[in-house]
Amino acid sequence: MKRSMRIQNLGGARALILHRPHPTVAALTRQLSAIGLEVVQAWPEVGAEALAMDFVFFDADMGHDEMFPWPVRQPPMPMIALIGSEAPGRIEWALRAGAHAQLLKPVGNSGAFSALLIARDAFDAHRALFAEIADLRRRLDERQTVVRAVTMLAVRGKTEAEAYAQLRQMAMAWRISFEDAAGRIVGGSGDEEGGGGKRIRG
Amino acid sequence: MICVRPPPRSIFRLNLCFAIFPRRFLLTVAACCPKQGELGEKPRGIWAPIAASLDLHRGPFEFWIVDLTAKRRIGLGILYSLSGNYYLISKACRAGALSAIAAINADPGCDLEFVSVERDPQGNVDLYGPLCEEILRDSGANHVVGCVTSWSRKEVIPTLEKHGGSLWYAVPYEGFEASDHIVYTHACPNQHLLPLLNWAMPKFGSRGFLTGSNYIWGWEINRLARDRVTLAGGEVLGERYLPIGSRDIDRVIEEIRLARPDFVLNSLIGPSSYAFMSAYCELGLSDRHFRPERCPILSCNLTECELPTFGAAAEGLIAAGPYFRGIPGWPRRQRDFGSSHEAAAFTSVMELARLLAHRPGAEQLSLAKLLAECSGSGGIIDLETHHTVLPVIIAQVRGGVFQPLKRLEGVAGDPYLTRGRNFPTSPLLRVVS
Repeated sequence: MKRSMRIQNLGGARALILHRPHPTVAALTRQLSAIGLEVVQAWPEVGAEALAMDFVFFDADMGHDEMFPWPVRQPPMPMIALIGSEAPGRIEWALRAGAHAQLLKPVGNSGAFSALLIARDAFDAHRALFAEIADLRRRLDERQTVVRAVTMLAVRGKTEAEAYAQLRQMAMAWRISFEDAAGRIVGGSGDEEGGGGKRIRG
Repeated sequence: MICVRPPPRSIFRLNLCFAIFPRRFLLTVAACCPKQGELGEKPRGIWAPIAASLDLHRGPFEFWIVDLTAKRRIGLGILYSLSGNYYLISKACRAGALSAIAAINADPGCDLEFVSVERDPQGNVDLYGPLCEEILRDSGANHVVGCVTSWSRKEVIPTLEKHGGSLWYAVPYEGFEASDHIVYTHACPNQHLLPLLNWAMPKFGSRGFLTGSNYIWGWEINRLARDRVTLAGGEVLGERYLPIGSRDIDRVIEEIRLARPDFVLNSLIGPSSYAFMSAYCELGLSDRHFRPERCPILSCNLTECELPTFGAAAEGLIAAGPYFRGIPGWPRRQRDFGSSHEAAAFTSVMELARLLAHRPGAEQLSLAKLLAECSGSGGIIDLETHHTVLPVIIAQVRGGVFQPLKRLEGVAGDPYLTRGRNFPTSPLLRVVS
């Protein structure tokens, strides 16, 4: 099955344009309003209300790190750089600020729709990737717990492979991750678990 | 005679006007700041030497001699292909535009006379840009009525932007566009495809087969149809495209025969569509499943202007559009239009005339300015999207005539399908470990 692009749900989304008053802002506002977004303009800085936005368009020419109310490289929404000068330093800064897509200035009659979709897709992909990396990192950190749990199960006369398989079955029965199941066994909470969970004694 | 633009608003105009000839000429005296560049046109023709000899241009006053009855001659580009794969649609649109021009020119109450500046791209997509440029650059016309395929419309956009011109586009299209230089007077998907599917799926079933010509209209209509069918729990059994102009439909027909869908969406254009309809009609003769009452053909782009070419093969075809012959309600100015293409082109020119009438110089304004200045004057064009409010009529060909089956009133064009829908604030899916 094809992955849906979720194109049809931009209606009512809020976009912040971080740019000084300029014809570019007017042209971009016109495009975004036609698409169906609510537009807010701010400059030079924006408060915490920016966190409620669904998209941020920011000026890559005059921008600086302090203009965003979130840590560098960690924007909580899709970011689109408005690039006038293609100087390497400015592009570098726009990337560091977390640009997911860009629009070249002067902004004319088109470009905003594709920038919105590309930025949202890139943002979603980044977020999914970060979540996966964080999960994998956590599981890596739990390696020692898994080893200890398998060893505890093996002490009761099972081979290492059998103990490992038992731990996997427990995790499935408890509907938790392998590492969490190992944590329960090491912490002794596996004894209290009922509801289809296998007991480690007996 | 002399039609002079009134001084811009920045100039203080004295209310000193007096009649030279009753009902015909007015000599207007206007006090002005001495910025000559802002004053608009000077008296021309036979009035120029008179004005010059009277030395009217000097000093703090400007004199304007206005012929109250003269019609302003305004160039209007017509850019339709009179040959090629979709010439029938072009001719229908052209007929609508020309009949509106004739109506405006014959109207004594309207101070406009449209002079058509016509170019024929002959169905060659590469000619649209250059010919549009020729109209805007050489004739002085600022507005063009034209283009049938979305491909050709997208070809002229850079030219419109370069010259500040405007296109009035009178054909159903696939949406996802709201150019500052285009007015869309026919339907977009929330005014044709979506109501058509919403009506047809509960009636015939939601297993569809999608066909289309191999360009943006077919691709986008079928992409949207696939989304909607899937959302409704249905299934797309096949999706096939033919090059524009191709009559090679045997394989598509065979696939449809094997898939046995509940409906077929036909987004083919021109000869491909004619060949397809005829072959599908034959398929229906040998297998009852493929008759209109069981598995109809749905279309968002077929109108009366192509019906004679289909002949009996069009029987049972179900189409959506804002107008079918003889059905009242739209356009506002009732006439016996041959098709919705004709009606939409007619409406385009009439609306342009309404925007320009009694506003000398307005023909040189950009579309955005023209619409902004006329906002609140009862216009039909949405300022944000440049689309219009249309009825949606779903009709079936019975006895060679479209008979209405369902009608929705006052559906505003929503090119990005965002109006009335909420943006989800939380993700639909979350990562679980």
